[in-house]
Amino acid sequence: MHNSMKKLMLVSLTGVLAASLAACGSNNNTNGNKPSNDPAATSSGNAAATNNAGTDNAGSGADETGWDGKKYVEPITLTTVKGVGTNYFFKTGETMENNVLQKYMKDNLGIDVKYDWVVTDTNDAYKTKLRLMLSSGEKMPDVITYRGDMETVNMLIDSGQFMSVNELFDKYAGDEYKKAAALNPDTFLPVTRDGEKMALPVLDYAYNDDMVLWLRQDWMDKLGLQAPKTVADLEAIMDAFTNKDPDGNGKPDTFGMALGFKNGFLNWMTDVSWLFGAYGTMPGQWNKAADGTLSFGSVDPAAKQALSTLKTWMDKGWISKDSGLKDDTSGSEFFTKGQAGAIVGRNWLPDWPFGDLINNVPGAKYKAYPIPAGPDGKIGSQSGNPSVNGWMLINKKAAHPEALLRYYNFFFDNWANPQKGSEFENGFAEGYDWAKLPDGTITKDPQKYPDLFPNYADRTHLVEPIYYSLTFEGARQPALYADTMIKLYNGEAPTTPYEEQTKAVRKPENLEAMKIVMDQKDIRMKNYFQGPLTETMKSKNELLNKLVNESYSKIIYGQAPLDSFDTMVENWKKSGGDQVTKEVNDWYASASK
Amino acid sequence: MGTTTKAIAGNEVLQQEMDKSKSRGFLKRTWPLHIMLLPAVILQFIFVYVPLGGLVIAFQDYKPYDGIFHSKWVGLEHFKFMFDYPDIKQVITNTALIAGLKIICGIIVPFVFALLLNEVSFNPFKRTVQTLVYLPYFISWVFLGGILNDMLASDGIINSVLHNWFGVKESILFLGDGNWFRFVVVLSDVWQQFGYGTIVYLAALAGVNPALYEAAEVDGATRWKQTWHVTIPSLLPIVIVVGTLALGNILNAGFDQIFNLYNPLVYSKGDIIDTFVYRTGILNGQYSLATAVGIFKSLIGFVLIIVGYKLAQKYADYKIF
Repeated sequence: MHNSMKKLMLVSLTGVLAASLAACGSNNNTNGNKPSNDPAATSSGNAAATNNAGTDNAGSGADETGWDGKKYVEPITLTTVKGVGTNYFFKTGETMENNVLQKYMKDNLGIDVKYDWVVTDTNDAYKTKLRLMLSSGEKMPDVITYRGDMETVNMLIDSGQFMSVNELFDKYAGDEYKKAAALNPDTFLPVTRDGEKMALPVLDYAYNDDMVLWLRQDWMDKLGLQAPKTVADLEAIMDAFTNKDPDGNGKPDTFGMALGFKNGFLNWMTDVSWLFGAYGTMPGQWNKAADGTLSFGSVDPAAKQALSTLKTWMDKGWISKDSGLKDDTSGSEFFTKGQAGAIVGRNWLPDWPFGDLINNVPGAKYKAYPIPAGPDGKIGSQSGNPSVNGWMLINKKAAHPEALLRYYNFFFDNWANPQKGSEFENGFAEGYDWAKLPDGTITKDPQKYPDLFPNYADRTHLVEPIYYSLTFEGARQPALYADTMIKLYNGEAPTTPYEEQTKAVRKPENLEAMKIVMDQKDIRMKNYFQGPLTETMKSKNELLNKLVNESYSKIIYGQAPLDSFDTMVENWKKSGGDQVTKEVNDWYASASK
Repeated sequence: MGTTTKAIAGNEVLQQEMDKSKSRGFLKRTWPLHIMLLPAVILQFIFVYVPLGGLVIAFQDYKPYDGIFHSKWVGLEHFKFMFDYPDIKQVITNTALIAGLKIICGIIVPFVFALLLNEVSFNPFKRTVQTLVYLPYFISWVFLGGILNDMLASDGIINSVLHNWFGVKESILFLGDGNWFRFVVVLSDVWQQFGYGTIVYLAALAGVNPALYEAAEVDGATRWKQTWHVTIPSLLPIVIVVGTLALGNILNAGFDQIFNLYNPLVYSKGDIIDTFVYRTGILNGQYSLATAVGIFKSLIGFVLIIVGYKLAQKYADYKIF
């Protein structure tokens, strides 16, 4: 749970990063073509513009919910609660309850979002307040949107106050949302209870969590090394990195690969799970065995082989002696400090943390490579789970449960991938997250052009109204990210604003890495268990994880013999592992019905 | 028999006197003081005593959405789970050992340091040192943990010094080896805390009656004899207070510190009750269990404080309350 929250945060962080990079990038990116015939006065900053729905006859053509196809004829109210993230910035005088996006949605869709309460979301304040609300039996708002640990979502579902969305989704979700949710068949699995979907997913870009192998290309070139196809090839490279002084300072201060397994062996960066994948299992998650049942990867016999390999790596000095004391992030510093020549992580590492590498080692070069294969030709890497980064629950008593879907549909249709010349081509609202210079260029720099961005409270940050939306970032089309990257990698010219932005922001190494991810997407081993913590997990997870992590670390460090793996597995089974396995399989049987 | 009667009679007289003074002058004279005390009492009541009611969740299968009033009662289930937990013995031993060492070192080191500093007659130096050793007390363990991790790394500054100056071949895994880990934990804790203790002892030293030293000097006592016969006995009461109160912390081995330093390699020697509770109780949402462990810890601490106090009263004839 903990890890998946980290992942989510990271995904959203990258989003922020990409957005802010985009903001920097597009200053120089002369986006010459004026939005051709932009009718209404968007320059008023009020974005009450382009109300095409105005032509419709009020009253006629509205369905039973009062929706005429574009808006609610009679504006409806949708209550919710909100944790205001640290990436939310407001203009002077605007708040969560009263801002440009709120007004826009009210004027154009007839959806008036009201907040029962708003809290600044630091130190999990939003989560705490939600849980307090549950425990004190307060009245729940129409909609709760939550991004964070699954446990809170499960608590909300278990409270029994929220409705099944099966029918709602079928009836009201737009094509774009349906298509996006269908990209991965497991999207609804985590919130499905007895066949009822209990929450709507907030979707994020897919394939963004997949692993590639990053190598220091300047070292590879210097030592004349070839791309690794197998683990054995990689070992030869690591040996050269360790013993042939690739940084040329005459000191034995380099080594093969950056690892950090303090918190486990399935990490979002500085990952080592792929090595287990090379032997056919994936630690820390539930894999499907040959007989169709689910089994825990960490106690699979194949893991023993991977551990034996890791021990060799440590003995030979190919990985740091401190690897077991580092977590995902601090372990990556081995690479960014210029000590280690390899790291396994996601396609966007060039954005972060590789910037540190360039700062620490001027002239350093890196390049992505496919995950290498094991001795039997097996390749396996983590992820492959749905890219959901939040959940939305709808109150059973909500007067307009379908309004949330219409809200989300709107952003899928108009925001997720806007066409040139469309309303949201440059951003949400002029004078907020974009402005037009006299020569027609679009700027996103409130510091340089204070007149074009009036009423800013803090000019160091771009005010991005899209974050005020109920659905966090408006909407994201999961396939868009990877598709765009591949398109750009193939040298095609960007056509949509999203593609132009991506081209301006993404480094070539990043595009190449995404290409590798897509070429290798069949190697992904998904975690088949997507349900809430089972009873035994709640009481025994800690003990079981401790058993695994302690035993793994000790074996790699040579503080325990390799065969202690078998003792650990026996212990794991006795201490509740067998029971957990049974419960997981029961869940799988019920969920995959 | 006669004396008893007398005593009872005496008590009655005293009681009457007190009642009289209460009803007449006492409250009249002291009511502003009571009013001044009232806010503190109210605060204490609201924020310390009322939340004690929450302890009932230790005996329930607490679910946040059911709340305290609707969660299922499970009696001593969580306590049973705690004591049935396979590693509980190891975890409690680690905790008591680490905390015990911290308490002992945490009394001796600042005590000796205060004595030494007290002998320094150059005041600016004394004040500077006092402030400098006090500084680490204010740095959080999140930060200190990062620094220690870097310093104690296999290619960190400590290992470099050992390697270059003392010819130690293999780098020592200070944080990856259980025994070294305990040593590092206790040492770094003492380093962080001893400035605070020093100030307490220095304050006590300042309160020693100078006449005692003059008398000792007249009797021909050397500096050493003065320390032995005047200074240390004068400090003993405060040492006993500090020690007795510290006993209550025998099961608090310092969550912040351990959490920021430990890793799976040192679970067997460094995992303590609080980190265990964090992983089981908080990460897995077992609030009832976390509360049960908290009660258990407080209970042990409470008993130890009482016993320590009784012992101090009996053998050192010292009363705190």
